[in-house]
Amino acid sequence: MSAGNILVWIVWFAAAVGCIGSALAVVAFRNALFSALALIGNLISLAVFYLLLSAEFVAAAQVLIYAGAVMVMFLFVIAYVGWDKDIAWTGGPSWQTLGGVVAAAALLTELLVVIALGASNELAHSNHVSADFGSPASIGRLFMSNHLLAFEVISVVLLVAAIGGVILGAQKRRDRKGVKR
Amino acid sequence: MSPLATNVALPLAAAERWWVGAIEAFVVIMILLLTFAFMTLIERKLLGRFQLRFGPNRAGPFGVLQPFADLIKLVRKAPFRPDRVIHPVLYLGAPALSATMAFLAFSVIPWGGGWELYGFQIDGQVVNLPISLIVIFAIGSISSYGVLLGGWVSESKYALIGAMRAGAQLVSYEVALALSVLGVVLMSRSLSLTGIVAAQQRTIWYIVPQIVGFACFAVAGVAEVGRAPFDLPEAEQELVAGYHTEYSGMRWGLFQIAEYVHMITISALMVTLFFGGWLFPVLHRFGPIWFVLKLAIVLFCFIWARATLPRLRYDQLMNLGWKVLLPVATVNAVATAFFVVLV
Repeated sequence: MSAGNILVWIVWFAAAVGCIGSALAVVAFRNALFSALALIGNLISLAVFYLLLSAEFVAAAQVLIYAGAVMVMFLFVIAYVGWDKDIAWTGGPSWQTLGGVVAAAALLTELLVVIALGASNELAHSNHVSADFGSPASIGRLFMSNHLLAFEVISVVLLVAAIGGVILGAQKRRDRKGVKR
Repeated sequence: MSPLATNVALPLAAAERWWVGAIEAFVVIMILLLTFAFMTLIERKLLGRFQLRFGPNRAGPFGVLQPFADLIKLVRKAPFRPDRVIHPVLYLGAPALSATMAFLAFSVIPWGGGWELYGFQIDGQVVNLPISLIVIFAIGSISSYGVLLGGWVSESKYALIGAMRAGAQLVSYEVALALSVLGVVLMSRSLSLTGIVAAQQRTIWYIVPQIVGFACFAVAGVAEVGRAPFDLPEAEQELVAGYHTEYSGMRWGLFQIAEYVHMITISALMVTLFFGGWLFPVLHRFGPIWFVLKLAIVLFCFIWARATLPRLRYDQLMNLGWKVLLPVATVNAVATAFFVVLV
């Protein structure tokens, strides 16, 4: 085992421990702001995994967009609203809980399948990665060819979300004006 | 056997030896610290001159020892902590995070063409990444947590308002900042700062074709650093000192270091993207000298802006960011894309 391999193992192990530990911390903390901080740690340790999979661009984008921009909004809102404003548990499993359980079961099945495939060495050919794998150019080419539909659908979804936000905000402002009159 | 892909491209796999990089990193951090120390002096001197007074001139000839006097004073101050801080570790961690991230961001800035010294390859930057521009933005977005956390964890009205302002301002101007450099990326077809400098060596400095992008970058950059006239997060007249109100001694000093190093990094980024980095028509070997000279000019403009421009009101800040800078930067990026594809 070469020195580089040992280093990769150490980094991988640290990222794995950080990832699982911070994920547990997200649900374990009572204070919502600490949960948000743990989530940032979780997203950053995921970025380390992308880095180890030689996808530097995805790793940097992960840190920039999720750990950076999205979580800043989370922190901003939590700090603004107040972290101690706890919403009481209304009780009873909703369709969201059921959906969550189904999604978790699907993920678990997928994990088990992948581990089983890996154990029987059926994934071994995936070790060969071309030189420009994960480069911005190759990712852009994939977006514009193989995954064009998904890419465009996501842009429409984001547009709907933006317009929805504007409509909600405008509604509130009109209500306030009505009260004033 | 490694659990991962065989050709793992860790940043360590650079052409130069890893310990050369480590020495380089150490030297760069020391130079940055010295630059920070003397920036505080030069800023006070220049502000003094702008206001028709002398500025600090007691410690040593022309006051050049003032930074060291300040340092000794800061280190010897009692580091107090308010009783009501929400979490002591976060309280200490916030300034540490700010300063660490500020230094980390500078590591990808190229300040020379690389040399060979006694048979060892020495690169012109601490680490050379193919996506260094995105890495700078990623590190910058993490460093804003230092400010947000520091203000929130202090459990003080002024600090909290300062942190909220900082959060809103950073989120708003990060978008415009990223869009304003898109033109440069499109023209050079590279996300690597070294590649962008090389592209400017082949063509011209991007200040000429990207003057609009440069204007957006300059305004959004000042806002991103939170310096006057965009210093709402620490507006003295309204918020005492904003997010670092409850910090003292070297803990406050770390926030100060982070702010100045961040300013130096943004200026260095501006020099790299728009003014050809370490390039100059003559004497290529002395890249770092040209780089430092250009950097000094940009930093002077930062201080000049602080001395002459009044602070923006909060609504003016948001209007400028969302209704002026963002559309202009977007149009510039789209126009550049058309130009690059068609011409």
